[in-house]
Amino acid sequence: MQKIPLALAFEGMILAQEIKNPDNPEGPPLCGKGVVLSSSLIERLNKIGVQSITVEGHPVKIEGEKTLDEELSSLDYRFRKVKDDPSMKILREIYRVQIIKAKN
Amino acid sequence: MGNKVNEIKRIVQDTKSLPTLPGIVLKISKLAEDDKSSVNEIARLISSDHILSAKVLKLVNSPFYGFSGRVSTISNALILLGVNVIRSLALSSSIFEIMEKSVVGLWEHSFGAAVAANTIAKILQLPDAEEISTAALLHDIGKAIIKIKLEEDYNQLISIIKEKDISMIDAEHEFLGTGHPEIGEWIARTWFLPEKLIEPIACHHNVKKSVIHKTKTAAVHLADILVKASDFGFSGDDIVPRIQTEAWDKLDLNEKILEEIVQETEDRLIEAKNFSLEIQTSGEKQS
Repeated sequence: MQKIPLALAFEGMILAQEIKNPDNPEGPPLCGKGVVLSSSLIERLNKIGVQSITVEGHPVKIEGEKTLDEELSSLDYRFRKVKDDPSMKILREIYRVQIIKAKN
Repeated sequence: MGNKVNEIKRIVQDTKSLPTLPGIVLKISKLAEDDKSSVNEIARLISSDHILSAKVLKLVNSPFYGFSGRVSTISNALILLGVNVIRSLALSSSIFEIMEKSVVGLWEHSFGAAVAANTIAKILQLPDAEEISTAALLHDIGKAIIKIKLEEDYNQLISIIKEKDISMIDAEHEFLGTGHPEIGEWIARTWFLPEKLIEPIACHHNVKKSVIHKTKTAAVHLADILVKASDFGFSGDDIVPRIQTEAWDKLDLNEKILEEIVQETEDRLIEAKNFSLEIQTSGEKQS
């Protein structure tokens, strides 16, 4: 799944997560998981003020986007000075899981 | 080295050589200091400057305060966020205007830190979440001042960082004899910012040093680390520093809470990226 700005959404994309109402995030969702986007739905979401949505797959290619391997080695590189610190090992692992999840 | 530090201090504290702050921002500072002035008076003053009002409202509605798009007047903004936050936003919008153009990476790093700090404050239910965000937004203001006022030194620092593979703060101590937290503190005092914003700026690399506002400082310290870990923006180096024990203990962190904070921050950073792009291209496109 991929989280994308609404501006990059197009017809036919499938929601991987429900859309919360920006004015009432605790209230009922605007749209459920699995819904296929139509242009009128995108327009309506835009009017309501929804800024981003999470869709199935990885439909939007972002310029300069790294592959999973590149992302993971760049993460290890950023943590290079703290690789033996126990709490930083925990933090790096949390990010590893996040990166892998975001790519699938 | 001592001479260099004194020279930097003189440059930073010489108000005439500071990035120009509009007279109105200084007037707001004075009004905010005066206990007798009312919220209405301050709202009227900010509203009289349309450009400043627009900038403040844009920041208030940005993803890091979580009111997205719902604050439409300066009086509402003052009531929701308080005089101190609005005053700092008026100040920072002037500074960031320079930063957006000269150091986009640093602007994004600061912005991302504000989003992370707000998430930390909300998940840990810390008081004054908005002030914690604002302190995070301003935490690297010292770097912006070095870049704006001492550009040659700034370029030298960037070369040292690359050459020796050290962090910005280590390079600053080695080359300038002082660091951006101290420089940030000097400028924050020159602007009469409140202590709860000054301490996180001054101590975000050394939480132990913070005396009164340790929780806010610890939150900003963690926020800074998270944006760097996330590779969002560019703060001058690409080294993730260690979470200091004082911060870990003060915020009572554990793996589960940290995971929740990272997940929520990553989600909100996507929105922040859009906002940052929008700000950089504003004027070119109408929403």
